[in-house]
Amino acid sequence: MNVQFLNPFIEAAFAVLDAEVGVTAKRGQLSLQRSAATASEVTVLISMVGQVKGVVLYGLSEATALQIVAKILGQSFAEFDDLAQSGISEMGNVITGQAGQRLAEAGFESNISPPTMIVGKGTLISTLDFERLQVPLETELGTIQIHLALRESINGTVSHPLPIGGA
Amino acid sequence: MYKIMIVDDAQFMRVRLSKLLTGHGYEVVEAENGEQAVQTYRSIKPDAVLMDVTMPEKDGLEALAEIRGYDNQAKVVMLTALGQESMVLQAVQAGAKDYVVKPFDPDRVLRALQKALG
Repeated sequence: MNVQFLNPFIEAAFAVLDAEVGVTAKRGQLSLQRSAATASEVTVLISMVGQVKGVVLYGLSEATALQIVAKILGQSFAEFDDLAQSGISEMGNVITGQAGQRLAEAGFESNISPPTMIVGKGTLISTLDFERLQVPLETELGTIQIHLALRESINGTVSHPLPIGGA
Repeated sequence: MYKIMIVDDAQFMRVRLSKLLTGHGYEVVEAENGEQAVQTYRSIKPDAVLMDVTMPEKDGLEALAEIRGYDNQAKVVMLTALGQESMVLQAVQAGAKDYVVKPFDPDRVLRALQKALG
């Protein structure tokens, strides 16, 4: 796991949480894991392919997830329904998209998959032989765990390369 | 009152944009994918379209081409995640009036729509 892949995700998450949710995040203790990840109550899974390949997970409690979507939409949520799931998936999608843009600027072009939502705590998510970097982001709404199981792929190609510098 | 069609496969985005636009006096219709967008455009003929690029069952680029093929005056603003600009540039070349990058600034969405509506 190339540690240089970490900062783009941290920066993207900070930017999205600030812009979309209006909260400031603080980075917690980084750890390198070789065992399977244990799913949080809510986990968003997004794959990356290209010059960076692997899996990104965003794990959070249902209470935190509900507070985040409530803040974005300006309405309260009684349960983690389809709309709330859609909101958290979208947040993961936007963070990963922004991180992908930052990685492209550093010379690692990649594409991301549509998000997959895992609801329910305790499922083991194995990234097999990919080491996993785990970093908690602390916010006033609760903790978001980011797991990066990513690897550089020299021969990786992307169908729609990310333009450096944007439009 | 202008009628705007919001096209996004993410329910959350449709609800969020719908709230924003109805709060500013627009009438809103929604579509969940490109195929539905083309059909809804033909039946409703909205004044403008706000459409995501990446969607299942006909993506935003294909739907844009079909909508512009049916109505070459169609006013379409594309929505995109950061990092998909190359696709959006294709959309602009294919007749999209503007594009907005997610996470979107509400004022930017409103300005893009106002500009598209002329």
